[in-house]
Amino acid sequence: MGEDEAIAKSSEDQNDDGVSESKAVPVEDKESINDENVEKFLDSMDDYLILVDSLSSILRQGWLELASARHSMGASRISASSYDMKYHSAATTLQLQHETASSDVGQPHFVLRKWESSDSPKKDPSDSPTRDPCEAKLEEDKWVQSVSSGLRIRTKGTSESSESREKKAENTGSPLSVDGHAQKERLKALSMFGALAPPKLRAAQLSFETALETLADIANVRASLLRAYEQVQKEMESPIQ
Amino acid sequence: MYGFEALTFNIHSGYLEAIVRGHRSGLLTAADYNNLCQCETLDDIKMHLSATEYGPYLQNEPSPLHTTTIVEKCTLKLVDEYKHMLSQATEPLSTFLQYITYGHMIDNVVLIVTGTLHERDVHELLEKCHPLGMFDSIATLAVAQNMRELYRLVLVDTPLAPYFSECITSEDLDDMNIEIMRNTLYKAYLEDFYDFCQKLGGATAEIMSDLLAFEADRRAVNITINSIGTELTRDDRRKLYSNFGLLYPYGHEELAVCEDIDQVRGVMEKYPPYQTIFAKLSYGESQMLDKAFYEEEVKRLCLAFEQQFHYGVFFAYMRLREQEIRNLMWISECVAQNQKSRVHDSVVFIF
Repeated sequence: MGEDEAIAKSSEDQNDDGVSESKAVPVEDKESINDENVEKFLDSMDDYLILVDSLSSILRQGWLELASARHSMGASRISASSYDMKYHSAATTLQLQHETASSDVGQPHFVLRKWESSDSPKKDPSDSPTRDPCEAKLEEDKWVQSVSSGLRIRTKGTSESSESREKKAENTGSPLSVDGHAQKERLKALSMFGALAPPKLRAAQLSFETALETLADIANVRASLLRAYEQVQKEMESPIQ
Repeated sequence: MYGFEALTFNIHSGYLEAIVRGHRSGLLTAADYNNLCQCETLDDIKMHLSATEYGPYLQNEPSPLHTTTIVEKCTLKLVDEYKHMLSQATEPLSTFLQYITYGHMIDNVVLIVTGTLHERDVHELLEKCHPLGMFDSIATLAVAQNMRELYRLVLVDTPLAPYFSECITSEDLDDMNIEIMRNTLYKAYLEDFYDFCQKLGGATAEIMSDLLAFEADRRAVNITINSIGTELTRDDRRKLYSNFGLLYPYGHEELAVCEDIDQVRGVMEKYPPYQTIFAKLSYGESQMLDKAFYEEEVKRLCLAFEQQFHYGVFFAYMRLREQEIRNLMWISECVAQNQKSRVHDSVVFIF
């Protein structure tokens, strides 16, 4: 009965004032919102802990595979003195975006762009000799973004945009060409240790690549975890009407 | 004539054969490896090694130890033993002992050239070079821009000069060219070493032919597997295989066209000595191939000591010590990374 009185009072307030009272939410709805936020927080916490554990095991595996590669190739071939000190652009970058979905205004979102290269995609100059270089760069960026989004792991709140981008990736570049480009860039990165990289070194590279992806996911999950925690704390501090 | 080495071998090389057999008895035993595999920290490893012949080389190293320090100090022991034998050797044993180090010389040359291409400091690179492969003018490698200059400025006065005939070009050095240069030099070196051993004749020729043929075949398999997915063409791949060995020439023709590990397995299983190696691997797997090859190599190297009055024991001892150092490196890495359950993935027991 108490709940019905609350609902009746809220409707009377609305009728008298002619303005809907946004704060006058039914109690049962408010409790369900509270539960939803708490569930979101606990889900995020669970995802976060699973990802951290996964990162730890992937890194352990990666370091052991690297030691195994040093064991077969020799310690002098795989060491810090093999790093390429010439200026070159980063093969992988991290982009920070802010979510603009209704419920997650301002939440940061990290996107990993893997295996970008200033040499890719190779454009034949004879195709469009008069093309504006800025336009070519924009198209290249779009292509690279479609490639990277195809590789990016989906997160909550971006499912629709990811699906549309994945369709674009399928239209612009088949998965085979995406894999081929990524594989070429991987071997190019490994060439500092020798152009003929053994399987153990390639496996170590894959492990660290997976670890990078996991790190980006951890950052995203942590952002949503903190967001959910803020929501829950806000609700705990505001009085129930 | 083969079989009469007992009459003359000891005149010039008897002392050194006794020395190398004494060194062989100092190799780590199964009990030593068991103790090392149970260590919790690198200091424990140092403590266990202090009771072995490596003790004097590690005792002054301060804590905390690093795995590279253990490997460096153990390598120094090998270098000291080698230098002692080389200083006592007469021809042709001295030439034979020098041949053993040319592989390390090639690795050092490639290390310096690659590091210079990557704009590294020469002094930093020189510290990483293998001590057995050092020569006087090695630091001047940094000034060369292409292979022709490399040869003309530096390598013409080194033992590697004869091996450069196939790879002198004016092309600028890049990662793929350097890798092709490395493998071309190593191919020429192995063939030259093989011819030298054949000229020595007798038990040395017989035993070393088997060991070098195995090395050539293993190289062919590794080049094939490592070049899968790279820009190396089939013709270039074929040119890197040596002109001797069990796989020469028909196995090489088949390996040159392989595109994955299963095709390589299909080729190698036609040869009975390598059938047992590939039988240990599951389909599609290549991670344990190195260990399988090392085990086979150790078996053949140990057999070299069963016969007397030949130079193969020197080659076998050097290779067994290098395998032992690889074992110590792997055990140290597993202990340092707290992954002792994986120790037996790569340790090859000797004797």
